[in-house]
Amino acid sequence: MKELWKGNHAIAEAALRAGCKFYAGYPITPQTEVGEYLSGRMPELGRTFIQAENEMSACYMLQGASSTGMRCMTSSSGPGFALKQEAIGYLCSNWLPALFVNVIRWGPGLGSLDSAQSDYFQATRGGSNGDYRLVVLAPASIQETIDLIYESYEIAEKYRNPVEILSEAALGQMMEAVEFPEFKEGPKQEELDWVWNGVGDRHKFNHGTPLYADKPRRVREKIALMEANEQRWENYLVEDADYVIVAYGIPSRTSREAIDKLRAKGVKIGMVRPISLWPFPWKAFDEVKSDVKAFMSVETTDAGQLVEDVALAAKKSGRGAAPVYGLFTGQNFARPSEIVEFVERVMNGEEKEVF
Amino acid sequence: MEIVFAGFGGQGVLTSGLIVAEMAIHAGKNVTWMPAYGPSMRGGKAYSVVKFTDGVIGGPDCDEPDVVVAMNGPSLEFAQKLKDGGLLIVNTDAVDEKVDMGGRVKVVEVPCTTLAQGVNNIKAANIVTIGTVIKETGMFDIEDAKTVLKEYFESHGKGKFAAANEAALMAGYDL
Amino acid sequence: MAVTKSVPKLLQNPHSLCPGCGHGIVFRLLAEVLEEEGYDQKTILTLGVGCCCNMNPPAWGGDAIQTAHGRAGATATGVKVGRPDLLSISYQGDGDAYVIGLAETLNAAYRNEPITAITILNNNFAMTGGQMSWTTMPGQVTVTSPNGRDCDVTGLPIKVPEIVASFENVNYVARGTTINAQEINKLKKYIQTAVRNQIEGKGYSLVEVVSPCPTNWRKGVKDSTDWMKEEVIPYYPLGELKNNNK
Repeated sequence: MKELWKGNHAIAEAALRAGCKFYAGYPITPQTEVGEYLSGRMPELGRTFIQAENEMSACYMLQGASSTGMRCMTSSSGPGFALKQEAIGYLCSNWLPALFVNVIRWGPGLGSLDSAQSDYFQATRGGSNGDYRLVVLAPASIQETIDLIYESYEIAEKYRNPVEILSEAALGQMMEAVEFPEFKEGPKQEELDWVWNGVGDRHKFNHGTPLYADKPRRVREKIALMEANEQRWENYLVEDADYVIVAYGIPSRTSREAIDKLRAKGVKIGMVRPISLWPFPWKAFDEVKSDVKAFMSVETTDAGQLVEDVALAAKKSGRGAAPVYGLFTGQNFARPSEIVEFVERVMNGEEKEVF
Repeated sequence: MEIVFAGFGGQGVLTSGLIVAEMAIHAGKNVTWMPAYGPSMRGGKAYSVVKFTDGVIGGPDCDEPDVVVAMNGPSLEFAQKLKDGGLLIVNTDAVDEKVDMGGRVKVVEVPCTTLAQGVNNIKAANIVTIGTVIKETGMFDIEDAKTVLKEYFESHGKGKFAAANEAALMAGYDL
Repeated sequence: MAVTKSVPKLLQNPHSLCPGCGHGIVFRLLAEVLEEEGYDQKTILTLGVGCCCNMNPPAWGGDAIQTAHGRAGATATGVKVGRPDLLSISYQGDGDAYVIGLAETLNAAYRNEPITAITILNNNFAMTGGQMSWTTMPGQVTVTSPNGRDCDVTGLPIKVPEIVASFENVNYVARGTTINAQEINKLKKYIQTAVRNQIEGKGYSLVEVVSPCPTNWRKGVKDSTDWMKEEVIPYYPLGELKNNNK
């Protein structure tokens, strides 16, 4: 039977079931319950929890553990997640798998504890130096949070690349009835052909090694492979839709409510819900009518971030003629009634397109 | 079904939401429970929103509630969001003003703390309100509700208060 | 009986450290100790950022992780979590471990992580061309203290081993130098003790090595040695600061 679980606790338990053996992190609202939960649960399972001195340090602990092939994770929010960016670059540089969870709070700097999606660019464009990508997965429910985390290590290990779960404050704090999958183990550390094992004969991209010079090509190929394989989305009523909302996370849920209300009024409207934010699911747009009248990005940002990918996806799928609008709701996610009003303004020509 | 339990921090409005969420799961529904969190938890203004349905649940926060339980005066602001024909439960032990919704919604006045005191369980004013909501909406079978209430407290290591809490539930139910 | 000293297997490849630098000696000692203890194929070295980057494989014939500037204490912590059966050793210069990485260094020691930390103290940021470090001596000229270090405005040279030794449960803290053969022999003992502590699961050990940097000091080797004897070593006293085994 399903049990009522808080989003942040579910993140923690799902990671354990996915085989996470090591967590390092530093508390910050609204994701603190992740670490709190693991601080008790991990010793119970004979695994390691470290409350690190700061978020940077936590990530370098991950670098060390991941180098040995251990499944590990960290989580944070807001300025705490900003501090992890440098280390994300080091993990990518060394082709290390790891799980990052960002339960987004609103705004730059200290921001606020409100639920938002304002770290979209940070996650999908990268906040560290150099050319790299993270596989970024954005759940819209607590069950989906569990399911995506459960898969994340296989993705991370397949490409030897960190995976980031992009949650948001509301999804971390709310509760839903969920079911957990069984515990599973990752591959045996010493059997991985790339790990640091004390001998030094396995990892092939270090400075000075023959393959190092070939790294740009390998990075390019890896990114192309991830883009080809890892696009995930859920489309809702797009087949006949004249208007298509694009939204992920909590706003995708309120958008769905709005769509049902608009459909009841006879408006042909649907939604593309990206589940992978990087790679952005261009392929989802192929299911949209080629003469779609408009795309609308509904996002909890101040000035629009997702909207840029919507425009790129529209262009890439040959639907670039359709204007792209944005509903940006700052530190409050859009209510269904707000979305209905916004769509009606778009239909009446009262909104200015972003692209 | 969308229910808001609102009051001061310490009036148990998060817990009453949680218990109703458990009851909804017991009834086989999809459920969300959303707390007000962060600074608002300490600022004296607390609330939780429970939504349940057979279908897909949209946003988890308060949108157009079917029921608002106002444990104190400031919580009455949620009453403005009530659906037409909705239900407003007012804790008259903490709300002095006479609430006039102009007939748009049904208003039920409940002296929650007094009723809780009447069953020697003064802390259970929040449980009283659950009884009243069930009575007024018929959303759950009361026997099922009793079972879930008992399980809830047992699973939180407070099984010894099960009888007292059931009495509070029934005090609200049998107004 | 004659003792034949051969170059350790971990150091068969050329490195690009400057002539007169102390790093090479410390790597040699570390390689010898690991080989003697039977851990040369069971050690993951975490290299900081600075001149120690020169010892990335293949210069270092064993396993090594290149971490970020200052973060070796954290990375080495993670390595030990991932492979408690292997030795996890961090190797950093003073700019790395004591300036940008002061938090990670002190916190790894504070938690008494079961790792071994080796730090090279050469009174400047050598890799970037000789800027002032927290270990730069009063009045010492560097490229960012062109008039000599003014300790009134930049602080006094920091003594991290003394701080670490104040953490009650930390097992072993020592300061050695590469200044002459006698001191090098003592230093090897310190490194050996620190490594054995980890093998025996005795918690955190730190060995600091006062080491010359003729290139950035703009001194010959003899002048470097003389300056160390006159100024640096009196300020940074040598020996075991703490040994809980005794």
